[in-house]
Amino acid sequence: MRLLHLVNGGEDLGRSRWFWIGFAAVILALVALPLYQTEFEASNASYYLLNIPLALGLSMLWGYCGILSFGQVAYFGIAGYAYGVIAGNLTETSWGPLVGSVGGLLLCAAVGAIFGYFVFFGRVQGWIVPILTLVFTLLLETFLGQTAGYQWRIGAVQLGGYNGMTGIPPFQIGNFIFQGYAFYFFALSLTVAVYFISRILMNAHFGKIMIAIREDVLRTETLGYDVRFYQLGVFVLAAMLAGLSGLLYVQWGNYITPSQVGLLPAALPVIWVAVGGRNRLLAVAIATYLLNWINYTLSEAGNQYAPVIMGALLLLVMLFFPRGIIVAIAELRWPWRRDVTPVSVQDRSA
Amino acid sequence: MKMQPAISTVNLTKRFGGVIATDGVDLSVSSGEIRCIIGPNGAGKSTLFALLCGIHAPDGGEILLGGRDVTRLPAFRRVRLGLGLTFQTNRAYHNLTIAQNLEIARRRNSARVDSDALRRYQHAIGLFELDQLTDLPARALPHHQLQWLEIAMVLAGGPDVILLDEPTAGMSPEETMQTASVLRTLNGMGLTIVVVEHDIAFVREIAHRVTVLHEGRIFAEGSVAEITAHEDVRNIYLGRA
Amino acid sequence: MDTLGLLASILYQFGTNAAFLLLAAIGLVVILGMMNIINLAHGELMMMGAYIATIVTHRGIPFPLAVLLAFLLVAMFGAALERVIIRRFYGHELGALVVTWGISLIMGQGTLLFFGPFMPSIGIPGGSFSLGAYSFATYWIVLIGVSAILIAALWWIYQNTRFGLMARATMQKAAMAEALGVNTDRVYMLTFALGSGLAGACGALLAPTVSISPLMGQQFVAPAFITVVVGGAANVLLGAIGSSLLLSAVKTPVGLLFGAFIGTVALLLTALIIIRLMPNGVSFYLQRFTERRVGA
Repeated sequence: MRLLHLVNGGEDLGRSRWFWIGFAAVILALVALPLYQTEFEASNASYYLLNIPLALGLSMLWGYCGILSFGQVAYFGIAGYAYGVIAGNLTETSWGPLVGSVGGLLLCAAVGAIFGYFVFFGRVQGWIVPILTLVFTLLLETFLGQTAGYQWRIGAVQLGGYNGMTGIPPFQIGNFIFQGYAFYFFALSLTVAVYFISRILMNAHFGKIMIAIREDVLRTETLGYDVRFYQLGVFVLAAMLAGLSGLLYVQWGNYITPSQVGLLPAALPVIWVAVGGRNRLLAVAIATYLLNWINYTLSEAGNQYAPVIMGALLLLVMLFFPRGIIVAIAELRWPWRRDVTPVSVQDRSA
Repeated sequence: MKMQPAISTVNLTKRFGGVIATDGVDLSVSSGEIRCIIGPNGAGKSTLFALLCGIHAPDGGEILLGGRDVTRLPAFRRVRLGLGLTFQTNRAYHNLTIAQNLEIARRRNSARVDSDALRRYQHAIGLFELDQLTDLPARALPHHQLQWLEIAMVLAGGPDVILLDEPTAGMSPEETMQTASVLRTLNGMGLTIVVVEHDIAFVREIAHRVTVLHEGRIFAEGSVAEITAHEDVRNIYLGRA
Repeated sequence: MDTLGLLASILYQFGTNAAFLLLAAIGLVVILGMMNIINLAHGELMMMGAYIATIVTHRGIPFPLAVLLAFLLVAMFGAALERVIIRRFYGHELGALVVTWGISLIMGQGTLLFFGPFMPSIGIPGGSFSLGAYSFATYWIVLIGVSAILIAALWWIYQNTRFGLMARATMQKAAMAEALGVNTDRVYMLTFALGSGLAGACGALLAPTVSISPLMGQQFVAPAFITVVVGGAANVLLGAIGSSLLLSAVKTPVGLLFGAFIGTVALLLTALIIIRLMPNGVSFYLQRFTERRVGA
């Protein structure tokens, strides 16, 4: 009951009965997707979905807590590579992929905690975090790019330099291998679960502290909160969610290259989150799905302009829809909406 | 029997570059006292406040809270030990509702809120007329009530001592007097209050004792009557010393 | 004899690294220090300068003139950017970061579409000479001198010109400067143009030493931003000097012993340790030190 109350709190879009009916309908349509789409199309949909955890993590970090990171893809890459190495070395057993997944997430948490310790416990100014996360990502890309030789072989797995790591095992529990439709359901259920957990977390006291820190760090500290600890906490959480996306990515495509942690992929999550509306989780999730679909469709058609279009989109959103396009659409006065006041009174300044 | 001071400093010193902003300050505020710290612009009031909060680290000396050395503790630890703080500019969360503001303030320290502290908090909410407005966003409040909200937030954490930096800045004379009356009531309920202020009318209204800072040092200390009668204090305010 | 050569060689490496860091960061530093805006399109502005210099040098224009041209054109481009976009983000630190990243994306990828992935670079002007067994490129010696001159010139501009005075006033209290009749709008635009122009000129200066490609801006991002982070915002010019020297002192030995990549990793680690120990950057302490000496 209390959980239900938290799910329906004011820190995300949509609280009315009609909203939840619509939400259920969309989930139902996603669940029923195999009935009307091919396995190939379902596989594409998996790809759009699997980016959502990373985006939700960035949304909590940036939109709710006011910490901007340009380096979420670093954790995406760390988890992907770690999974590849661990699962690739444990191919004899059926639980290799599970160990690899846990290992990937733990490594993300550890790296995020170490990095976050230096940054947040140094109480640096706001602009330093995005810069250092970006630099970290670029160095990771450079490092992975020069792992071509045989000395970069870990057990049975070759890191592979710029060609990347190939033949990464799919996810598997017992003898059941998640591929095709099965992987689609796996990604869908994880994404929906992450969404609900995030929504509950942001509506709970933890979320209020996030917002309090975003609004005024000093006031929050002088109410007795150890701000650094909370910042570190949400940073590690976001790192692990980015890691989750990275795991799903390598389990989906069975390969990963250093360019996944390059400058262009690093920019994309920021674009998804900004276009959706950074402090509304649902808006971020929707934007992530749609923009991944658009990006894929554009580059599928051989359109080289996709990165430029994404950059232009970011520019336009920052100039004209600073609170996000999806949020702007959601807060239009639809004719059937009876409440005249905006959906929520929180944070109209951002 | 001598009571332990609620908050005190020993030889507190802070330099900025070549300038000494706080120069060997020995301050001692007894439990249950209302102390006002006054001084002309540049006397070192803000620096002393920032040192007591934990925003700046002193170059020398000690700060004691209820007899405990807190000189090296960060701000949040001091707050957890029973210090409440408000700032010169209003720092309530303007984009959150009043209920959310108070909730954030209450939750962290709920363990240390005893029945006295709870009584003070509830009393303040009533006197500040905030109890009916809980679902309003804070930014909808008029200025004086925003200031009151911040004091109420501080009280929600159940402090023993509150440190207020110009709490009546920007208030009308009536609102200032109303604030003074609430603070007196809270003091009557056992709260120690330290106010950094330069509105003498307000100081006259509430202070038990007054500390005058000048050029980073304690220049004079005494009751309101003693201080206002003090020739040299009047001189430094008129810029003649 | 060879000890002398070795010593000169180490000194040369040290100077080269410091000059590279300083040149990569200087445009960024000017904009950050004056406007509190991190310009993530900085690398792309350097790329733009490098392209301009390379293209006109291939057409037979002397290299120093090409550098000057890169400065002017990129400065004009920067002024236009400031007018249309950047000015809407004053006071929104994170917003400015995000929007300049959008600009960087468009510039980098746009150049890729327009000029293709590769452009023949220009050779390093000047030859080299040797001392014992060690050889030295004349051009890098010149660059070390140029970066020292650049810093001195910026210092002089801020201390001695009318623009410098107005800029310092705006930096300290914009509202007050405005009230005193300083056109702060104009100061911001000129500052952004100056920072962009410097990025362009430095891109041009470094163009002969790197390969020219649309995404070449990326290679400046890490060194430039680490230099700025370590320097801090208290006094950016002082910070840039202090941090490029400090970082070079880290990078030179590490790079010589373990290679360029580990050298760059060492830079990041240094930055992390510096912000943990002195969150306001090196410049805060350098400034305090100089103030104390003046005060005492």
